[in-house]
Amino acid sequence: MTIVKPSETLIHKTTHLMQDGMNARAFGEYRIPEALGDARWTDELILSTWYMAETGEVPDGMNFKTGKSDGGFDRLDFQFLPEGEWLEHSGDIDTSLHLNRRGDGKNEIKIDIPWYGGGMSYGSVSVNVMMSRARNARNWNSYISTGEGGYPPELFEVKENVITQVATGYFGVEEKTIKAAPIVELKYAQGAKPGLGGHLLAVKAGEEVAKLRGSVPFVSLFSPFPFHSTYSVEDHSKHLDWIETINPKAILSVKVSTPHDVDMVAVGSYYAGAHIIHLDGGYGGTGAAPEIAKKNIAMPIELAIPKVHKFLQKEGVRDEVTLIASGGVRTADDIAKAIALGADGCVLGTTDLVGMGCTRCANCEGGPSGRGCPWGLTTTDIELQEWVQQDWGEKRLDNLYTAMQWRLRDILRKLGLNNVQELRGRTDLLRYIGKETGE
Amino acid sequence: MLESAAHVGLESQDGPLTLDRFGAESARIGREIADRYHRYQIETEEVDDANPLPHRFLVKVGKVGLAKFIAKEMLMYFGQFDIIFSRPCTYGVFSGPVGGFAPRPKLCVGCLRCTVQHPDFVTVEHNPDLMALGDSYTTHGHIAAIDEEAKKGIVPVRGQGYRGRFGGPGFDGMLTDMSEIVRPSRDGIHGRELIGTAVDVGSKPMHLSFDADGKLSGSTPEMFTIQVPFLFDLPPGDLGSNDFARVVDSTSRRIDTLSCLDAHTVARLGLDAPNIVPVLDNAEATHTSEFPAARLIELDGWNADAFEAAREATDAMIGVRLHFEEGWQESFIAAVDAGAKVIHLLADLHGRGADGSFVSDLFKEAHMILIEQGRRETVTLFGGGGIVGADHVPKAIISGLDAAALDLPVLFAFQGRSHGSLRKRDKVSGTLPRRMDHDWAEQRLANLCGSWRDQLLEILGAMGIRDVRRLRGEFGRSMIVRHLEDEAFEGIAGYAGGGA
Repeated sequence: MTIVKPSETLIHKTTHLMQDGMNARAFGEYRIPEALGDARWTDELILSTWYMAETGEVPDGMNFKTGKSDGGFDRLDFQFLPEGEWLEHSGDIDTSLHLNRRGDGKNEIKIDIPWYGGGMSYGSVSVNVMMSRARNARNWNSYISTGEGGYPPELFEVKENVITQVATGYFGVEEKTIKAAPIVELKYAQGAKPGLGGHLLAVKAGEEVAKLRGSVPFVSLFSPFPFHSTYSVEDHSKHLDWIETINPKAILSVKVSTPHDVDMVAVGSYYAGAHIIHLDGGYGGTGAAPEIAKKNIAMPIELAIPKVHKFLQKEGVRDEVTLIASGGVRTADDIAKAIALGADGCVLGTTDLVGMGCTRCANCEGGPSGRGCPWGLTTTDIELQEWVQQDWGEKRLDNLYTAMQWRLRDILRKLGLNNVQELRGRTDLLRYIGKETGE
Repeated sequence: MLESAAHVGLESQDGPLTLDRFGAESARIGREIADRYHRYQIETEEVDDANPLPHRFLVKVGKVGLAKFIAKEMLMYFGQFDIIFSRPCTYGVFSGPVGGFAPRPKLCVGCLRCTVQHPDFVTVEHNPDLMALGDSYTTHGHIAAIDEEAKKGIVPVRGQGYRGRFGGPGFDGMLTDMSEIVRPSRDGIHGRELIGTAVDVGSKPMHLSFDADGKLSGSTPEMFTIQVPFLFDLPPGDLGSNDFARVVDSTSRRIDTLSCLDAHTVARLGLDAPNIVPVLDNAEATHTSEFPAARLIELDGWNADAFEAAREATDAMIGVRLHFEEGWQESFIAAVDAGAKVIHLLADLHGRGADGSFVSDLFKEAHMILIEQGRRETVTLFGGGGIVGADHVPKAIISGLDAAALDLPVLFAFQGRSHGSLRKRDKVSGTLPRRMDHDWAEQRLANLCGSWRDQLLEILGAMGIRDVRRLRGEFGRSMIVRHLEDEAFEGIAGYAGGGA
């Protein structure tokens, strides 16, 4: 079958059917699909995310806060003040986050919300998805990361809100894309496949994708592990120096996964010059990863954050570095819990995709059709990618972030906090819901 | 002739030996040696299903709703058939001769686009027939994974992140480590072919002894090598058919590992061979002499007299199968004291010992007994029970095993079906495909082994470990979820510790 770019009529028909269907499901006009959801992203969590992405409000009657994974974020809750002591829900509750705490003359960056968008490479997702996320990031004075797949020309339109990622395959890394970026992210590992490198299956490495990656079409592309120029903290420091030489104003983020010694890695990165330590936990998303890696290698983010936070405190450098958490952070409640455990902010990936229709069917890598995501998200298929139009995607994410910020402020006011930064490391404001009591 | 020329096979009668010629000949011989080197790999090849699993989803389409929808579109998009007949499924569920009027649910991957897009007349549900497979430990998820691995022989790769519970019991509560920046080896994705998965079976002295002349005087290694750290165990319950035995025999020969088979079956089918481990009752210990080709023979349970009798009757190594019953530690130590070079530890098929402990703790205990006695290298530890996923193999090795014994995975690789509980070894009941073609079954089992070995390489590669033998008992390269929780959640109100 020859696949061609769909006509405007077909795009109109398909997108309307999809969007109307999502709304009908999210608004409860039909019962919840029996096959929707899993332990981490339950049916209600997916539908409530769709609801927020459509309305900009949190839903009544659906659990939009937690999954049913029986641990981690799903067993943590807040110890709110008595209702009479709650603050007014107000836009004055500060949710902003400084990303450069070193005071070293590089870009002073403050984002309006304590999260930004994680790396999704061109190839793993389409330009439409990248642009939807990037334009939304611009609206929120936040960022998205390119992931490791190059810098599609369209992104230059929003370059002030785009982080250039340098990963182990150096795919699409060019001087101009490093110079364009206010933040450069060195990706050492990814939580969903720690220590394994990356793999874009041949079916997704089409003409444009291959061109940006400096490869030939329809050949599997591997990012090795590790950086073959880095075998010590000193080598790591050298890497950061390279970036600084090309773009002296850029602040530097180091993305690592969560091994046993993640605390040592974080401190090493700080001393090498990183402004942001980005921890990516084992339950994070991916466009393609071996199933054995997703659960078994490295630790969940909930368990890594306190370990690193405390160690940075012990080393006396905690306030000079921004600690960002990702890999299994799904909701505003998760973000607040991650911050209470010791992070400064979070990175979201899957949440953005769910907001634009993802059902977590896990066929991002191509699936039996070889064409990638049938929802048009994790695909560069000439037809399927049209199911996500940029204006619609941007609006969905804008609504979703509006609802999430509202919920974050709601949590803060119920804790009596005026500023999200006051929540950092406040484990005294959390409570653990015991398995035995079944509370 | 140059002094070392003879060592590389140069003959003086070929003429005067120059340095140039010496160099060229050395290079040629080196090339020949290198060309003879065979890098171990398991040849995998996708095979057809003989008894396919129930498909994952049930797709139902309301015919009236669909007819109304098509009629509406006929009017709305009059004459534009590409628009009218465009369908939400990219997997072919609705692409049969009559489209959605006869959906093909076996092609459904659960993207749910159809039911979201047409909530009024399409439903997609999990197939209860699939969900009913297995039991509470060996779940339909394990069985489906084994089925895919045995069919394709590849590492299953999917998009999206982890979908399951946080940690969990048994092996789910153990995570493996990775090495972020400072790595002991330059492996990674382009170096996995250099990671060794061979393990030694038998005994090595803890140290070498020399006499006054500098000659070796003490014991020397008594062992052989298998190429993967897993072997096929006795088929549990009623699964031990002749067909089953013949396939595990040929597959273990093909991939260079071992198959434990009942000694009577080995004798009846004439399977005595180096890759076969006949298993004998202690009462039949002297029958070890009937298996002259075997390198290893196992006795079921510890009995000092039987062990001595067996050892006297054969030159093969004698191994002892020990069930994790009350007091197993005494039998374990006694067997090692008596000179057993292989101990094959067995839990029930849910991985539990008689006291309820999980195998990861039990394997660790056995391993640590030997460590504390300073004789770990003198004994090889096999272990089985509860090993039903690719991740269980490295986790069992981290817990102290040299090699893991596979039982139920073999049944499911053959697309067999189990009936009832899969906990007690002797009570397991299952059926194999009615006409199980030998070559088909061998390829399925080889595919499973290839897939599991490749997944082991993923785990080892992530750690930067180049030899599976170095993983044995490396508890430090694992993380126990409940320990991590204790560290992370200590002091949080309501957290009682131990993952409670």
